[in-house]
Amino acid sequence: MVGLSVGETNFIRGGIAQDLRCDGRKRLSYRPIHIDTGVIPQANGSARVRIGGTDVIASVKAELGRPNSAQPGKGKVSIHIDCSATAAPIFQGKGGEALSTELAADLQRCLLGGKSGAGAGIDLSSLSIVEGKVCWDLYLDGLVVSSDGNMLDALGAAIKAALSNTGLPKVNVIAADATSSGDQPEVDVSDEEFLQFDTSAVPVIVTLTKVGKHYIVDATEEEESQMSSAMSISINRKGLICGLTKRGGAGVDPSIVLDMISVAKNVSENFINVLDSEIAAAEAREEE
Amino acid sequence: MGSSNASGDISADMEIDAFRRLFPVQFYERHFVKSLRPDARTLNSARDTSVALGAVSSANGSALVKIGCTTMLAAIKMEIMTPSTESPDEGNLAIEFHMPPICSPLVRPGRPADAAPVISKQLADTILSAGMINLKELCLVSGKAAWMAYLDICCLDADGALFDAALLSAVAAFSSLRIPVVSLNDEGRVFISEEMEEGKSKREPVNKEQRKLTLSNIPFSLTCVLHKNYILADPNAEEESIIETSVTVVLNSSGQLVSLYKPGGPVLAYTAAIQDCVALTKQRVQELQIILNEAISDMEVD
Amino acid sequence: MSSRAGTTPSTYSPSTQKKKPQKPTFNDSNGVRSDGRGFYQCRPAYLKTGAVSAAGGSAYAEFGNTKVIVSVFGPRESKKAMMYSNVGRLNCSVSYTPFATQVRGQGSEHKEYSSVLHKALEGAILLESFPKTTVDVFALVMESGGSDLPVIISCASLALADAGIMMYDLVAAVSLSCVGPSLVIDPVLEEERWQDGSLMLTYMPCRSEVTQLAVNGEWTTPKIHEGMELCLDACKKLAGIMRSCLKEEADSPSIQ
Repeated sequence: MVGLSVGETNFIRGGIAQDLRCDGRKRLSYRPIHIDTGVIPQANGSARVRIGGTDVIASVKAELGRPNSAQPGKGKVSIHIDCSATAAPIFQGKGGEALSTELAADLQRCLLGGKSGAGAGIDLSSLSIVEGKVCWDLYLDGLVVSSDGNMLDALGAAIKAALSNTGLPKVNVIAADATSSGDQPEVDVSDEEFLQFDTSAVPVIVTLTKVGKHYIVDATEEEESQMSSAMSISINRKGLICGLTKRGGAGVDPSIVLDMISVAKNVSENFINVLDSEIAAAEAREEE
Repeated sequence: MGSSNASGDISADMEIDAFRRLFPVQFYERHFVKSLRPDARTLNSARDTSVALGAVSSANGSALVKIGCTTMLAAIKMEIMTPSTESPDEGNLAIEFHMPPICSPLVRPGRPADAAPVISKQLADTILSAGMINLKELCLVSGKAAWMAYLDICCLDADGALFDAALLSAVAAFSSLRIPVVSLNDEGRVFISEEMEEGKSKREPVNKEQRKLTLSNIPFSLTCVLHKNYILADPNAEEESIIETSVTVVLNSSGQLVSLYKPGGPVLAYTAAIQDCVALTKQRVQELQIILNEAISDMEVD
Repeated sequence: MSSRAGTTPSTYSPSTQKKKPQKPTFNDSNGVRSDGRGFYQCRPAYLKTGAVSAAGGSAYAEFGNTKVIVSVFGPRESKKAMMYSNVGRLNCSVSYTPFATQVRGQGSEHKEYSSVLHKALEGAILLESFPKTTVDVFALVMESGGSDLPVIISCASLALADAGIMMYDLVAAVSLSCVGPSLVIDPVLEEERWQDGSLMLTYMPCRSEVTQLAVNGEWTTPKIHEGMELCLDACKKLAGIMRSCLKEEADSPSIQ
């Protein structure tokens, strides 16, 4: 928790009301975003995203697994978030655990779409190799190294960057014996050919934090301590809403919810472009 | 004894609720002298008991039992297993007793109640040793497939005599159990055959119709608490917390003793007291049997 | 499917022989669902307070096959490890019975639902009315029949009212599923299995405040508008039922 004096609180709130925040930003502008890709050589894909003082790392690990019997034609994705205890004192012990599971659940909701897979940022059927037998299991791990607010958006961006950095090895099926039901088909994992992951559908997460009557994007930790509620909305390139969660105790009027959604939509267009160019720049740097 | 007299003196000037809290033993003893209990029961009578069968539709058999405020929900889910080599033509039972945090202020999530595993074990011992269920009836294909009956009992409201309510709910759940019609496929897996398709299905179902288990020697129980020379049948939570000596007697429907459980306690009972407990249980068994039979016939009417 | 290796779990629950259950059709011109409801029609709700005598307040809710009990304990002493706090704490826990689901489960706590329940209720409770203490809200799903979470939330707010915890308003919760082109409100398990998206709204009608909103799947803005509108309407109706349930309880001569 941030300990703020009454004066500081008023300064933050007043700044937001006048559309001039403490660090000179407007209500709907982001802090500078810096992305590095390929930061973890062992992983299939990884990225580090820094937004102001918030620093997160995401990695993608792909393993061959068995599809769920309920969804034989689909791969599996699991998201796990770890909040480093060094990042903030509240991450120690149980508090960090609760926050980690909450962030993971929110990301899951925002990135993986509905039960049937509609609106999913990751096309699960593209992860299938032999229907009902072999598929890719993607493990998305996020690590919060240092926290200065807006963690969910940063993690979402990091996962998007890590996925676009991911190359899945090409898998050749050697003997797919369909008649023997119990046996696993033999597969050969190529270590030369890699398939690039299509991340154009991966949505971005925009969190609007409501302070007083106004909402701001990319809140710092100090600003988050003043929020009454926050709405995280994940939006893809087509402008469709892929997920939404609300945080914070205070209730909001339904009309404000709808207004927040439309604001988030406008913000997201810009944010997607910024992210894409940053990712492209990072990949170019990595290749040099 | 001095304190008892002292409290007796001030009790005249004290409000009843305060007296009940400060001197619970004396409060109860004053009732006992008049052969009454604070909830207006006589010493030997049990609380109102009700049984409702088929409370949960996601289970193959279920029952909701209320003894006073103590509420138990028992449900059986049938799964398939490969029988062990020692007994290839027998199914099996797995009995578990749960005390979720909703049932009592003493249970907190993440920390299971102390009483739960004890009652779980007692129930399993009682039901298996009573010979109520013939495990051979759970066999489907000898050595290949048999039923595993998972009986889960959840305490929804804990107000004393948990074991009695749990046992009654378990028995009631078994009497509402309907074993589904299943057939074997080529791979040796068992599938539920749907009644609609039965005519068309070429495969012979392993068991022809939904069937019930035959229950013999049904066990019923009564818990009594002992205080001085008084025997209180079917204690509620408050009585259990004040009087620490309890005796649980389990008799089967033909009056044979299945189990007797007296876990220590400050009162060392004479055999006469135990005999009184058994006599009370005998009466209770008859009551419970009528209640259970009514519930079964109610369900069959529906 | 599974070879008889020693490592596989020893029991399994027999499934129906039909390999692929059919997706329910929702393009029916009459707009009738498998259980005879219209698309925008909720299941009949049965609500009752005072289900658990051991608790400070409790409620039982039954929406179709979804059956939930919620007990409220406290305000009582916070755990020792907790620091001083000048506002009260709310502690929520949701668990399932092992037989609640079609396939037998473990009967353990559902962490995600617990956290959503907390988020949905904290905005409605006057936490400053019980400083230094904790109110525990424990929910048990006896049978899962779809739309579990909204039923838990509505039932929990009723239980809080029964326990006499001060609240700004009752919280009513309703979810809807987007299946293909149509929206169906208060979905059952079968409909949830096939949903393309879901929307859950928890709402305090008297204050006109949304305490929690969770959306999943792919939605266009007009569809979100429509979905929210439907949920808000249903929440208002549900809150009316909840209110009358509390009134009935208060009017009836109490036994104790």
